[in-house]
Amino acid sequence: METEIREILAEHARLPVEVSALDDDADLYQAGMTSHASVSVMLALEDTFDIEFPESMLRKSTFESVSAISAALTSLVGAPAE
Amino acid sequence: MTIHFVMCASGRRAPMFFRRRWDQAGAVDETFGGLRVGTDLVAVDDVAESVARFGDRYVGRVYTAHEVSCCQGPPSVVAAGLAARFAAKEATIKVLRPVDHQPDWRSIEIRRDPAGWCAVHLTGGAARMARQQGIRNLAVSLTHESGMAAAVVVAVCDGGEEKER
Repeated sequence: METEIREILAEHARLPVEVSALDDDADLYQAGMTSHASVSVMLALEDTFDIEFPESMLRKSTFESVSAISAALTSLVGAPAE
Repeated sequence: MTIHFVMCASGRRAPMFFRRRWDQAGAVDETFGGLRVGTDLVAVDDVAESVARFGDRYVGRVYTAHEVSCCQGPPSVVAAGLAARFAAKEATIKVLRPVDHQPDWRSIEIRRDPAGWCAVHLTGGAARMARQQGIRNLAVSLTHESGMAAAVVVAVCDGGEEKER
């Protein structure tokens, strides 16, 4: 799941740094992700994982790091397969 | 509403409402009264790419039908109009200062008056946040130039429900 998240971030988050250089807990907003970019990230995640983020999850914290996104996706699609 | 005037040190008269705000400025938490300003800047190309990549899903998730109706024409014109409105929504969110949960983008609508100027209309969660924080009036200004769109939102706060607790 983290690999797909990082691929989406590389394509849509418009970060000025390499996504691979960021830790899972690194703050994506501090790394340069704009609010508008986070919308594209959200829509790309929905496409890839065939889910829809409910309004209750539209929080800055939902998309603030790879681990936060992973936790949000896990809550929506279930635990990742081993 | 009755407006009481007081004499300022300069000799000019000022409404008592504003004089009271000035007098209290150093002692009152600005959350409970005063002005707030929010601003945001959006790259028009970013919006154009989102429209091209996600189409109606992007537009329908972020903008109201009225906002879309205000942004018609060639793709570059549409993207510039939407980018300015996104900037205005983000500027409004900065004024609303959500602790974490963010209001639905569509609950912040940028309405265009037939005469040309724009206004902010809040519904749902955004209206609730504004009410709780005593935000009674919002003013917005949009602009776009050279591939960038920007907006400034000014809010007048008078305490609202937070003050009454």
